[in-house]
Amino acid sequence: MATSIAVSKRPILGLPFLLPCCEPVTLQLRRAQSTYRRTKQRLRIKPDASFGSSTDSTQAHIIYNPPSSAPSAYHTPLKFLPPNDVRRTLRTDTSSSSLNIDALPSVFKSVPEKKYHLTREDVEEIRKLRASDPLVWSRWKLAQRFNCSPLFIAQACEASPQKKEIQRQVLEAVQSRWGAKRRMAREDRELRKESWGRDE
Amino acid sequence: MKRLQLQRWSSSALSSRVRTGSRLHRQIYYSGARFQSTTSNSLQFEDDQSLAGQQPTPPSTNSPFPQFTKHQLPSPPIQAARESAKLAALHARLYLPSRLPLETLARCLVDTSADPNFQFNNNSLSVLGHDLLTNYASEHLVCTYPRLPLTVIFAAMYAYAGPKTLHAMSREWGVEHAAVPGGEVDPGLLQFKRVAPGTNLKEARPLVGTTRPNEDQTTWRKSITSSVVYDNVFGDPELAAPPPAELSDNVYPTNDGINSEPPVTAEVASANFVRAVVGAIYLHAGRQAAKRFFEQHFLSRQLDISKMFNFSQPARDLARLCARENYEAPVAKIISETGRRSRSPVFVVGVFSGRDKLGEGAGASLVEARSRAAVAALKGWYLYSPLEVRVPSAMEEDGAAPWKPVYVDLGEVIV
Amino acid sequence: MPVQGIRSVTSARNGVGAFILQCKRLDFHYCDWAGSSRGMVSFLKHQLNAFAKQNPQIEIRVSPRPHKHPVIKGHYINGREKAVCVRNLEPEQIFQKVNLLKQNSGEKNKRTKKPVTSINDSVRGIWSPYHGGLKSV
Repeated sequence: MATSIAVSKRPILGLPFLLPCCEPVTLQLRRAQSTYRRTKQRLRIKPDASFGSSTDSTQAHIIYNPPSSAPSAYHTPLKFLPPNDVRRTLRTDTSSSSLNIDALPSVFKSVPEKKYHLTREDVEEIRKLRASDPLVWSRWKLAQRFNCSPLFIAQACEASPQKKEIQRQVLEAVQSRWGAKRRMAREDRELRKESWGRDE
Repeated sequence: MKRLQLQRWSSSALSSRVRTGSRLHRQIYYSGARFQSTTSNSLQFEDDQSLAGQQPTPPSTNSPFPQFTKHQLPSPPIQAARESAKLAALHARLYLPSRLPLETLARCLVDTSADPNFQFNNNSLSVLGHDLLTNYASEHLVCTYPRLPLTVIFAAMYAYAGPKTLHAMSREWGVEHAAVPGGEVDPGLLQFKRVAPGTNLKEARPLVGTTRPNEDQTTWRKSITSSVVYDNVFGDPELAAPPPAELSDNVYPTNDGINSEPPVTAEVASANFVRAVVGAIYLHAGRQAAKRFFEQHFLSRQLDISKMFNFSQPARDLARLCARENYEAPVAKIISETGRRSRSPVFVVGVFSGRDKLGEGAGASLVEARSRAAVAALKGWYLYSPLEVRVPSAMEEDGAAPWKPVYVDLGEVIV
Repeated sequence: MPVQGIRSVTSARNGVGAFILQCKRLDFHYCDWAGSSRGMVSFLKHQLNAFAKQNPQIEIRVSPRPHKHPVIKGHYINGREKAVCVRNLEPEQIFQKVNLLKQNSGEKNKRTKKPVTSINDSVRGIWSPYHGGLKSV
């Protein structure tokens, strides 16, 4: 308790590692810091707020202190509970409310907007073009032409067997130049990727 | 009480003094017709230890049935069950109900490969026990985890009542195997004809004659729904039952002793034995005793169902699930990260649907963390369990509360 | 097929549902002539009957072993066996040895450092630095 007060009273110059730039003043201050305070005193963290005796509620109350571990798979998320389950009313999802969800960055830089602009005739056109000359009309080119994603082209039509055979030979030619190390690294990567689904 | 009768405690005592002439005579020359007793007197443990004190029935010379010695029989005679210390010890070790006689337990230990006669082997008991086991296990699984996908239910059924588990259980019960089955063997040993070492089991017996139509078409796609209809409870192809005319009905063993049944592995024989014990408990002690036995021996074993999932494309499945249940589309967001530009970064990614967090996962790349978060969310969906679980067989008890319908889910995500 | 099941086997928890006594057989070896077997012979005559009645789940074998010290051997479900030499012991001491063998699990003796071991998952999970209330120092 005493340390937290001391920390709060300390000016921001006392924490030089938090400052973005290094000025000569802070450099001197950093030299003057004792080891004990840096390594021990600062790491004494005040216990969770729910642990202390709360003054406002004199009645019995629940201390909510979620474990610092990955959530168990047996804890069904609140959204997945059926509407008549008792746990819906019992559990107030305090863990997610502590997170500011809107401020969290997304995994992908830009999420493409789904347009749904292609018609049935366009899909027929895609199929015809791909069947006519698979070497020219690749998935990428068709996607550029119709302003959609290559994934949609793959969903709409399939490559001809000749094109598949050519691609297979190209892949074999590339893979034949791999050495043992690269081949093993690629295989290991595939195995690691499979282990994601098993949650290992 | 001055002279101690040592064979009271041991049927297989080794000293020459114990083996008196009459006992030797009784061991080797067993007389009488071969029939399975249908009315067995109930077992009393007080008399159990003084089994050898009972006088053997005098051999009836004028019996209308043919006489056999023990060596001619494929499995031990029924009278031998009362003399086996191993069998009595096994009976007591499993705390089997006293209404289950030792003779039935001895019959449970005789596999079809040892004695092809259906009146003396455990085939009928094991069929009954298998049905009971799978019934209890499946109702427990479906009621406890109503949203489990079928493939996981098959795997969990295999874990609860599959042959590997039953084999492990019979080993943990202390059941020993006889080297070669025969009439002179101690009835407390599991008797089956062993597969010769070095036999390739898959080559030796290709699976033909299954219940599935077009079984020769190996390239055809087998849907999981079709395996509900055609395959067994573990999702494996099942051999079709032979027509009833083929069941052998010869009570008497053939004189040359040639057994036409194929040899089996120890796993198959032990699994059949454990199933037969469950079936025998059901027949002799009733439904409640069988269910209690299942709960104590099978359900009490540890199984982590959350480790039985293998997702191939979890993010896609989660998107389909949210679309099916009319939730907002799942969005992956970075909760925290460390060392992005270093050699070993860690990202913690959560999958959110609207403002609700569905799951979170940590990984060394953003794609891995997102995939793991989707797996966690899908497991959260599939592993939902109602608070009070009641299985349908609870209604069989007297004075049971009226049945309330259990939670039934739409089923797994179909992509 | 979106999700596949991974087959596994349930692991036993002896005593959670049913309890299986791990000692499955006790062998008693004695000598009629030697003086070191005097206590053993007395035990076999007067106490073994009651012991066998109380513990029907143990198979008991008695056999002489002339010109040797008396021995009790316990055979266990895990395949191991433990032998105790009971030469010159009184019947009460032999009874204690028999009880020791009966209650044994058959495993090798090892020092237990933790009072409780479990195969269940911890209730609060495994600590991870990336979860829980993240505090900035």
